[in-house]
Amino acid sequence: MASDLVVYVVVHQPQRLKLPAQPIPKGAIPDDIERCVFDSELNRFYFEKVSKTCYHPATSLFLQMVESGFKMSIGFSASFIKQALAWGPDVLEGFKNLVKHPNVELVCVEPSHSFIFFFDVEKFIDRMKWWRGYLKEIFGFEPKVTDTTEMYISNDVYFALLQAGFEGALMDGREWVLEWRDPTHLYTYVGKKLKLLPRHYDLSDDVGYRFSNWRWEGWPLKAETYARWLKEARGDFVLIGWDMETFGEHQREDSGIFWFMGSLPRELEWRNITCLTPSEAIAKYEDKTHDLPLPEFGCTWAGSGGMEFFLGNSAQLAIFRLMQHVYNKAKLTGHERLLDIAMWLTQSDNLHTIQWFGRTGEEAEVSAYFTPRRWWELGPDRIIWEQQQVYKNVIRAMDHYL
Amino acid sequence: MVKAIKITPKNTEFVVISFEGPDKYYSQAGGLGVRVSELTQVLASKGFTTHVIFIGDPKKPGEECLQEGRLILHRWSQWISDYYPIGVYQGESEKLYDFNDTVPTFVMNDIVKPAVERKKLVVIMGEEWHTAAAMINISDILHYNGLRDKVLMLWNANHTMSFHRIDWGRLNYTTTITTVSKYMKHCMWGLGVNPMVISNGIPKRMLEEHDHELYKEFRTIFPSDLVLFKIGRWDPDKRWNMAVEAVACLKRIGVSTTFLIRGGKETYEGEVMHNAKKLGLMVKEVRVKEPDIKNSLDAFRRALPADILNLKFYLSEDLLRLIYRDSDAVLANSGREPFGLVGLEVMAAGGVAITGSTGEDYVTPFQNAIVLETDDPRELVQYLLFLKEHPNEEKRIRREARITAKQYTWDEILKNLIYRLEFIAFTKNIQMGENPHGQ
Repeated sequence: MASDLVVYVVVHQPQRLKLPAQPIPKGAIPDDIERCVFDSELNRFYFEKVSKTCYHPATSLFLQMVESGFKMSIGFSASFIKQALAWGPDVLEGFKNLVKHPNVELVCVEPSHSFIFFFDVEKFIDRMKWWRGYLKEIFGFEPKVTDTTEMYISNDVYFALLQAGFEGALMDGREWVLEWRDPTHLYTYVGKKLKLLPRHYDLSDDVGYRFSNWRWEGWPLKAETYARWLKEARGDFVLIGWDMETFGEHQREDSGIFWFMGSLPRELEWRNITCLTPSEAIAKYEDKTHDLPLPEFGCTWAGSGGMEFFLGNSAQLAIFRLMQHVYNKAKLTGHERLLDIAMWLTQSDNLHTIQWFGRTGEEAEVSAYFTPRRWWELGPDRIIWEQQQVYKNVIRAMDHYL
Repeated sequence: MVKAIKITPKNTEFVVISFEGPDKYYSQAGGLGVRVSELTQVLASKGFTTHVIFIGDPKKPGEECLQEGRLILHRWSQWISDYYPIGVYQGESEKLYDFNDTVPTFVMNDIVKPAVERKKLVVIMGEEWHTAAAMINISDILHYNGLRDKVLMLWNANHTMSFHRIDWGRLNYTTTITTVSKYMKHCMWGLGVNPMVISNGIPKRMLEEHDHELYKEFRTIFPSDLVLFKIGRWDPDKRWNMAVEAVACLKRIGVSTTFLIRGGKETYEGEVMHNAKKLGLMVKEVRVKEPDIKNSLDAFRRALPADILNLKFYLSEDLLRLIYRDSDAVLANSGREPFGLVGLEVMAAGGVAITGSTGEDYVTPFQNAIVLETDDPRELVQYLLFLKEHPNEEKRIRREARITAKQYTWDEILKNLIYRLEFIAFTKNIQMGENPHGQ
């Protein structure tokens, strides 16, 4: 019987690519390269849409909830912050108010939502440290606990986070990693300091993915039912992790998601479930940590929990290779701005949005849902081709700098 | 009695979208830039607020107002043109992407919406294949925003170039397709479209008489029996080799000829010049640093003797009109010409135009010009000899040519265009705001 609940939401908006690929003028300066590569108009469209459906109402709701004793944690990607500074200062202000509340813990994330740790682990450590400092500048708090891109964790990334100086890291509690263990305990690897908090993916996905699905046997999910499930989970605490966009965007307002969340604190209280922040959970269960062997092939919170969701088809593998090439080329130029552009091009979303290629089924539907609607006018094959073209264009545009 | 729709400056604004435009050196690679420049100037001079969106000189301002604010130039994609200083078509694909991507939103937000608020109809005219996708996108975005019935959209083909890149189905659905000649109309029938013919025009100034002292000098420079002139891109369609072979043939039969030529930057020049030399013609290149009329005529004189003078400098309008008028004939003998603006300019100057027989709707054979029916150089030779032997016929042709050209000034073409627009507005049930009769 779990007596504690840890809630985590991540706020992220990708830097969407401009498709079809815009040719880059020969000798273009980095600002113009960036202008050709990323679709700021599309980013703005989605940012404003999601602000209306999710950020504003969900932030208000969470603020009300924490005021009445609910506790939660929240992480922000750099691309979200960048977009909020440009197009939604009021949105950012709302989040600042939320983070300021003592019942809310700020969690660090990999700023670019990228897979940079595959190509350059030292850069990954630097980026994590930089983002931790930047978050302090914006929100006034320095995160001690961190998430990574798509909650990725592997043996080497664990040590990278340890070197970056974090006290705790979130990971997805998949059976293939945990084996016989429950995701409801605090873990560590080979006795090192960095604590691991596994997300209960099944209970998380009941809300994150299945909440509006009327074919699901648990539909319609009520707060009392969900609180009962949380209570029934075996272990010390349940970590629930969601995309912020779950509230109002992935699960629309008319699905009852806001009612559900609004009613949850009361239901938790009735069942004596205490809300904790990740740091509080670490403090409380520090003496009860268990050892968890971490996989060399990392796990994520997407799809079936490995990297298959991102590297499961030939189109994704091609982009993954191009990510490495563009990053390497930028490194060779030694140009800070070009490195920054390359970093954004290593964003995991550029793999996430083409998972559907050659696939069918639920996971492909999720991937297709995240693929900008405008792209579909090109047709599936051309989306793949044009996306590769973006990378090729940038790699060629860097010739000028070498 | 129901009144007809009437388009006037009070109820209508124009937007002309084109790659080429009024910036002389950067934006004018051929006849299109001249067309856009002249058409929009005339529209503005008649009182219509006229916007021109084109790939302009990156060193000039992004927006420029002329003619007391009635003519507004919007130089597009300048951030890209900065990287491509040579001209409008350098970095073509980069510019094209940006054009298609950004022009539609601008047209809707900055031109159509304000015009509609002022209860005005907007006529949007796209030129050439480069603007086809942008025009489709403009129509789509206007439709999405409930503004499509406040706008008339025409897309014009001046040439068959890159027709394969155009989505004809969508273009035909979203715009009224126009072209510049009956020949083009017939070419385009094969694509499943039936374009409306709205002819090209020439500016009124082309008809003005010039009495410059130096004008008298031109013919005295050349001791030859005939002085011929040809201007155009180095392209097989222009039948350069036919012209060169005709000159060689005249030389063989004892008719001395000086052939002035002005081509473009195309590499086909190499073949034509090789052919000329092979035929025994003496070719000289003429370059002039400051090409006013005096310097140019002096350079011609210095370059003689020669059968062919290959002019390698910019020919001003004044110099061109002088050559058009005082040459024995101007060879506008293209095998395929969508309209043939050079022929019309020659006629306006009172010259003898020898044209092909494709898009040159303005010519009547042996009445106001000479029209070739074949690509046989001997046909050209025969007509030139005929003209030499019948000076009265030549004079009559020159006189008739000017009379015809008067019907093709932009002012006249504009009347034709407006009548067509009124018809389109009527058939498409376009909302004309509060002043449909232009009162």
